Amino acid sequence: MSAPIVIISASHGGVQAAASLRQGGSEQDIILYSAEDALPYHRPPLSKAYLAGEKDDEQILLRGPAFYEDHRIDLRLGDPVTAIDVPARKVTARSGEQAYSRLIIATGSKARQLTAPGADLPGIYTLRSLSDVALLKQALSAAEDVVIVGGGFIGLEFASTAAKLGKTVTVIEAREKLLMRALPAEIGDFLRDYHASHGLRFHFEANFAEFEGTDGQLSAVRLADGTRIKADMALVGVGGKADLALVAPLGLQMSGGGIEVDASGRTSIEDVYAIGDVASSANLLVHQPMRLESVQNAVDQAKAVAADILGQNPPPTPVPWFWTDQYDLKVQMAGLSRPDAVQTFRGDKSANAFSIVQTLEGRLVAVFSVNRGADHMAARRLIAEGAMLDLNLAADAATPLMKTLKTS
Amino acid sequence: MSTPVTIIFETAQGRREVQAKLGASVMETAVMNNVSGIEAECGGACICATCHVYADNVPEELLKPMSSEEDDMLDMATAERRPTSRLSCQLRVTPELDNQVFIIPENQF
Repeated sequence: MSAPIVIISASHGGVQAAASLRQGGSEQDIILYSAEDALPYHRPPLSKAYLAGEKDDEQILLRGPAFYEDHRIDLRLGDPVTAIDVPARKVTARSGEQAYSRLIIATGSKARQLTAPGADLPGIYTLRSLSDVALLKQALSAAEDVVIVGGGFIGLEFASTAAKLGKTVTVIEAREKLLMRALPAEIGDFLRDYHASHGLRFHFEANFAEFEGTDGQLSAVRLADGTRIKADMALVGVGGKADLALVAPLGLQMSGGGIEVDASGRTSIEDVYAIGDVASSANLLVHQPMRLESVQNAVDQAKAVAADILGQNPPPTPVPWFWTDQYDLKVQMAGLSRPDAVQTFRGDKSANAFSIVQTLEGRLVAVFSVNRGADHMAARRLIAEGAMLDLNLAADAATPLMKTLKTS
Repeated sequence: MSTPVTIIFETAQGRREVQAKLGASVMETAVMNNVSGIEAECGGACICATCHVYADNVPEELLKPMSSEEDDMLDMATAERRPTSRLSCQLRVTPELDNQVFIIPENQF
């Protein structure tokens, strides 16, 4: 009997890998380590419905408590892995040493921290895990002035929740627009205006300088130009970085800030796989390794790894997709934003329902939708097929995107 | 205390009767109770269409009306869309849903 398949850790990707292995018929022992005490959970609601109190701990579980036992997945909660020994094919966890036949690294990402003066004052938070939210929620209910450093997805989702609670919310963004890397400028501008209409204040091209404290507690955020913004609490949302602490000594091939993997999730070391936020791989649209921090990426890479371990055909190359909820806006992205793409607008901004279609020489590469789920779902199929669009048809919002294919 | 609500899921493998919590979604009820065939990849954000169910015998007035968002998603679900198709993440458990049956399609993606 060979040693178990070991998965670090019980993230969305990690749990999916275990589930897909069982679904695919693997009978090998599977050990799923988690440093956290809580049953594995969905992370996206942490900055949305869970933060707002609309969902409780049970409602964000990835799988019910019985799932792990029923599928013979040895879930080890509160059991952080502290070392990996590749030559000896074993890991060391709090509970002891464990041999592995295959190792799946799904350690995820962690929030970037600011190293500015005052960054260690009480009242400054990041949002990544359930325990982060427990602290944040408490602080938010007591706060009046909330400052968010970084106009990214987590920051803006948190901002919508805080604004709905009637807080005074200020977002500080270093660049001139919101979400410039992920979204076309037009959507960034639309979101800025929508947030502003809900009372949010923005400082763009703002260089953060320091956190100021009064009596040992955060009291203000100061910008490089001297602007001082009153703050009872601050959320730092300046992106994530791959959590590589455990793998740094292994000598794995790295690229794009993560562990380089192929389409099957294989790293440069045999029988060691990496998935999710920690992995860096080429995809359907970008042919060099890049990290994608998304549920879709974690789930699809997990399925690819399971197929490889089971000796099955790899699943089709996935189309990257992502979403964010802000107020009553559902913003969905299929594909990846390209600055060199041709953009076609469909829909109605004043009705808060529109999409921006990106094509390269007529071939669909990305669709960004606000409250147009049908466009998003169609785009996921069409991008996978490498569809060529008739842009005149695509500009007509009444024509379903699926019916905008070029005929000649 | 409120009386417990039973929700019945029917899959190719058979029927499962589970206890549901009021206010949870039908999707969350399936996940909590380890009912196979409800993937719910997005966790209930109405963006993945992998919690598709057929509410064949559930009286329509017991279910909340379908939003355009859900309607759009169902058009793209993997399993065939039928007149009784719903996304279970959009359906809240109410006392009236006691003993209602939701049929889970064979494929969610």
